[in-house]
Amino acid sequence: MGTITTAQFSKGMFLEFKGEPAQIVDLTFVNPGKGSAFVRTKLKSLKTGKVQEFTYKSGESATEVLINTREMQFLYKEGENYIFMDNQSYEQYPVSSMMLGGYVNYLKPNDIYQLLVHDEDIVGIRFPKKVHLKVTEADEGAKGNTVSGATKTVVVETGAVIAVPLFIKQGELIAIDPESGEYLERG
Amino acid sequence: MFTWHRLHDHPELWPRYFVREKVLTAIRRFFLDREFHEVETPYLTGSLPPESYLEIFETTLLNRKREGQRAFLPTSPEPFLKKLLVAGIGNCFSLPKSFRNTEDMSLTHNPEFTILEWYRVNADYTDIMDDCEELLSFINTYLQRTSEKEKSAKPTELVYQKKHISLASPWERLTMSDAFKQYSGINLPNALTREQIAPLAKKKGYSVGEGDTWEELFHQIFFNEIEPYLGKGKPTILYDYPATLAALSRKKKTDPRFAERFEFYIEGLELGDAYSELTDADEQLARFKGEEAERKRLGKTIHPIDMDFIEALRVGMPTAGGIAVGVDRLIMLFADVVDIADTLFFPAGDLFNK
Repeated sequence: MGTITTAQFSKGMFLEFKGEPAQIVDLTFVNPGKGSAFVRTKLKSLKTGKVQEFTYKSGESATEVLINTREMQFLYKEGENYIFMDNQSYEQYPVSSMMLGGYVNYLKPNDIYQLLVHDEDIVGIRFPKKVHLKVTEADEGAKGNTVSGATKTVVVETGAVIAVPLFIKQGELIAIDPESGEYLERG
Repeated sequence: MFTWHRLHDHPELWPRYFVREKVLTAIRRFFLDREFHEVETPYLTGSLPPESYLEIFETTLLNRKREGQRAFLPTSPEPFLKKLLVAGIGNCFSLPKSFRNTEDMSLTHNPEFTILEWYRVNADYTDIMDDCEELLSFINTYLQRTSEKEKSAKPTELVYQKKHISLASPWERLTMSDAFKQYSGINLPNALTREQIAPLAKKKGYSVGEGDTWEELFHQIFFNEIEPYLGKGKPTILYDYPATLAALSRKKKTDPRFAERFEFYIEGLELGDAYSELTDADEQLARFKGEEAERKRLGKTIHPIDMDFIEALRVGMPTAGGIAVGVDRLIMLFADVVDIADTLFFPAGDLFNK
């Protein structure tokens, strides 16, 4: 639990805000003049999931919150919760959709994920930059339909709907950027 | 995926990018109707007015023998427009790209951006406030007339991120003192020194260090407690800034602790910065010297100073009100996007590493 300054702030980092642990989900810089500089942050409370904005003076210090990662296997969805299992202890943990954000669309049952843990509570997930999902539903793609561009929508194994090039067929594996939900490439 | 590629795959996105050409056309129509001359200002120059809080782009002008001299990209068209005001051009405007370095790309920043500056002679900042109200309504009406889906919308209404904004005149007008009183409970005229503002900031829970200046404490309160509330439902004109924050504008005759400067906000987004312009050459030179010293202290690029600008002020600039508007941000508003990159065919992120 070290003291850091705004110079070390980065998106995804965890720090103490108003005595509670929070995650920096966005970060921008403002320079109104006269040598003063500020760091505008969007902070997500680990307790409530609520996002609050706070503008720090450049150089101000904050207390970094120590986060550990723990490997867990995703089992299934139950209501608003996603059930993960620690493969060492076989204990199961419900994680709310609020903690997982948009990544819930790309969770594959039985895959292993890096979960972020603070004080025994699961506070987030470290998602890979690319996820590989199988296309479960795809039309042929209307031939000669060049006006709408070269894409069609398909459904992948997690139920998410993705815009892909016309040549992608049902049963194929595609790579997606989980941050934006965009198709990257085949395979 | 780069923007051109995304457009190829999603042609339904073209209308969003075409908002730019409509806004630029509307701006030009507005000013030509009012007989303002348009000035194309240089993108390469040998000297600049020093600004302590900006960093510049530099390149080299080579002659045939490859002998070089330093060349800079302007951070604003102001010095050029003011020299023409001195020359007698009258009301004028410019719509150039301006260039600011070391400002990381963000949702509201791109290193090169389109700036609109206009100046009204024999006028002050209150006349510019009226111009802003008329300009935004004009652009909105023009966009509605040229867009199929907007035809049924109310002429003074704009929808941004599901929020309804009325552009009808008059906009909310708030002095900085009003805003501080209303949103932070601070009596600003009694908080204009570090000694006065520091205990107030501390009481509010902000960290106050020995080296923290009045400007830093003032702005931290402003950004956290006031700015988020500006321009909700209708634009806000925030005017009469503490004089130290507006060294380039005339001080108020009725209260010289404050200066004739305003900014206008819509949905928390700062869109324009305006002054009753300073015309005194000596004061401007003193400001230049202060800014240069500050640049040295902050380790910024030291560049030749545009002394011709001071010379022009000595020849004599007419009384004028002037303003700089972030056109990309204006386009964000009319295109209903939250990322400046979504208004650009080639945002810096597509051309450089982020």
